[in-house]
Amino acid sequence: MLLKKLLLGIAGVGLGIGLMASSALAANLRVLAWDGYADADWVKEFTAESGIGVDVVFIGSDDEIWAKIKGSEGQDFDVFAVNTAQLQRYIKADLVTPIDLSKLPNQKDTLPRFRDITKVSGDTKDGKVYGVPFCFDSIGLIYDTDKVKPAPTSMSVLWDPAYKGKVLAYDNGEHNFSFTALTLGYKDPFNLSAEQMAAVKAKLVELKRNVLSFYTTADEAQQIYQNNDVALIWANYGQQQVKALQKIGAHVAYINPSEGALAWLDNWVISKGVRDKDAAEKWIDFMLSKKVSGALSERTGFGNTVVESSSAGSNDKLVWLNNVEDPTKRSDLWNEIKATP
Amino acid sequence: MSGTGSPQPLNGRWSPLVTVLAFALPAIFVLAPLAIFLVYSFFSVDQGQIVYAPTLANYARFFTDPVFLPVFWRTIVLCLSVAAISILLAYPTAYFLTTLEGRWRYALLMLLMVPLLMSYVIKIYAIRSILGLNGFLNKALVALGIITEPSTLFVFNMNAILLTLTLLLIPFAILPIFLALERIPQVLLRASDDLGATGLQTFLRITLPLSMPGVASAASFVFVLAIGDFLTPQMVGGISGFTFGRILYSQFGTAFNWPFGAALSVALAVVVILAILAGERFGRNRGTSH
Repeated sequence: MLLKKLLLGIAGVGLGIGLMASSALAANLRVLAWDGYADADWVKEFTAESGIGVDVVFIGSDDEIWAKIKGSEGQDFDVFAVNTAQLQRYIKADLVTPIDLSKLPNQKDTLPRFRDITKVSGDTKDGKVYGVPFCFDSIGLIYDTDKVKPAPTSMSVLWDPAYKGKVLAYDNGEHNFSFTALTLGYKDPFNLSAEQMAAVKAKLVELKRNVLSFYTTADEAQQIYQNNDVALIWANYGQQQVKALQKIGAHVAYINPSEGALAWLDNWVISKGVRDKDAAEKWIDFMLSKKVSGALSERTGFGNTVVESSSAGSNDKLVWLNNVEDPTKRSDLWNEIKATP
Repeated sequence: MSGTGSPQPLNGRWSPLVTVLAFALPAIFVLAPLAIFLVYSFFSVDQGQIVYAPTLANYARFFTDPVFLPVFWRTIVLCLSVAAISILLAYPTAYFLTTLEGRWRYALLMLLMVPLLMSYVIKIYAIRSILGLNGFLNKALVALGIITEPSTLFVFNMNAILLTLTLLLIPFAILPIFLALERIPQVLLRASDDLGATGLQTFLRITLPLSMPGVASAASFVFVLAIGDFLTPQMVGGISGFTFGRILYSQFGTAFNWPFGAALSVALAVVVILAILAGERFGRNRGTSH
């Protein structure tokens, strides 16, 4: 919480400077985003260009976005970032507003696969566009090249007893069930039958015995890596995590597992309780500019939807994240797994 | 109380209002939210939506599901240990402070309270880099030749939580014990000395019993703060340090099951209230005896 406040404070300083320059009278645009999606200099530039002040709140997990948006019935934020798998849940709960693509001139210049949003699974409902693709990445595996030889090709290496106590896993039941299902060779990792669910649960209890800790943020994983003997990291933050680790001199590499890597695609979405829809659409269009999207990939290593980037290999099998059959059930089972001695 | 203390007669007119405010504020900001979450604990959730029909299912689940009670007891034991260790460390510290003269006493006390001004999260991050397998603690122990290989004893487990919580909460133990020790009249100690008691006898028969109210409130402070914490276990607990606070937190964040989270909170609140009552009662009994 306090860390969040600190980040907010930093964002607030940038905002304050912007406000003074623009003398905006309207209420600020309230943005809920992941760390890296609303850097202070972009916010400042956006405010300078448009005269719209921005308040950014950063979040740490999909569940936190849901809790924040659902908790206020979409009234607390104007625009937020959410991935394709999650978006349908928001549409169903009537928490989001369709987006008028004609207000987004930059959207026409996005990469071919994102240009026709109706072809991006999960972004539309009944012909209306609810999400504008902004950023994507795979959820692969980071391994320490000094400790893991030969280079792994599958997530099954996480269960290798040779790496007992040297595995960092991610603290999220939904994803852990999905990737374990892929590792077990199940066709649809997002819709598991009762037997499959039980098998995955048993497999995850087994994984737990190999795990040093479950992390939630990339910074946290990096700090744990630095102070402990870590060989394998289930990389929820993909390229971003690899880059950060390599920067501090870690000998690490990244693979997308052969059984298929889960991959996410984040979208800008406008909430039901948006106060100024024009301002929200201006924000999204600004985010789709070559400059911001290009910088996004440079700074984070994520793939963006405007400028070609190296983050997605053309031969890698990517499994786009989708709705899971029962999030509450997965979450409860994940608690049971964590409580298993 | 507010009316009688004010010197101006005009205030007499306002005193009923002040009295109403004095009762209304706690009622609105403390009792009402507590009542709301108590009510929520009798609702349920279906497909991410809260169902507003009263049910006891949440409590039934808490008592019958094999996950929750063991974690609940384990967490209580953990927090009792934190309280015990904090007191064992805080008592000598507080005692030492009272032996100091005038200015030094308070200067040192202030220094001990300084960590409270720092961000909780930053302190946990700092402690985590001390505790890691290649962390400061292990490096120091290896360098001193105390252990030959870095130990995993304090890395991402219950011990790490125990150590971190103790470090974080010890100021809350020092302060009440110090205040209790400081209130002991010096004449009692001198009288004991005059009557021929040794230093140890004086301590055991005069100082220790008279400082027990402080120890009791210190214990309940630390216990209550420790049991409500979910961040420390989340950040240093790893895979074996799964505490009740983490389950509770996941009900609000991950599972979006507020009613069940509320029911778990009620269970936690019962323990907290019992701890506060115990601290209060124990403290008062001893306190009135002199």
